[in-house]
Amino acid sequence: MASLALLIPTEKLDRLHIAANLTAAAASMGWSVHLFFTFWGLLALVKGREPSGITGDYMAYESSLKKAVESGVMPRWADLIRQAKQLGDVKIYACSATMNLLSIDRDQLEDFVDDVVGAATFLSIAEKSDVSLVV
Amino acid sequence: MEEDRVVHVVDARYLSCPGPLLALVKKLNEVRRGGIIKLLATDPATPRDVKEWAERTGHKLLEYKKVEQVFEIYIEV
Repeated sequence: MASLALLIPTEKLDRLHIAANLTAAAASMGWSVHLFFTFWGLLALVKGREPSGITGDYMAYESSLKKAVESGVMPRWADLIRQAKQLGDVKIYACSATMNLLSIDRDQLEDFVDDVVGAATFLSIAEKSDVSLVV
Repeated sequence: MEEDRVVHVVDARYLSCPGPLLALVKKLNEVRRGGIIKLLATDPATPRDVKEWAERTGHKLLEYKKVEQVFEIYIEV
């Protein structure tokens, strides 16, 4: 079965939704999925932190996205990741260098995080994946 | 389609992509091989997504039609 590697360098909600949607679709098709949250993307994995805002140029559409999530048309991105994990082989990785940079400990991260890894590990995973994308 | 087979309905209307696909996949646990699922969806990408999914996972998209604004998609598990 195919596999997908995603690099997530931002905690903007629009990007997180793109990552979550692709993850859920891939898991539905039986693909294995590996998500590497690095730099500001890592902030999205911090427990209790609600990522806010969307990518700068598109702020006018922020309310549309929030409305879609509140009405249930679109699940919250983290819920979608959890659902995808129940379906199949979905692994969530936090970037070790960013943990150090932002003084974040492992126990501050969400329960759905599988491991803290380095760049070489993610590159090895991406090398073996059929599809690698940056969101 | 054989009309005498039990049809399991999955109502994924108003969910946006990939919600309908997720709802379909979740239902698979309850349906035996050869069973039929009728997926209701309004997201326009759903028929093609289900076709691609079925081709990769060994299931069968039997047929789909659009009734008013709702896609009715029949899948053999």
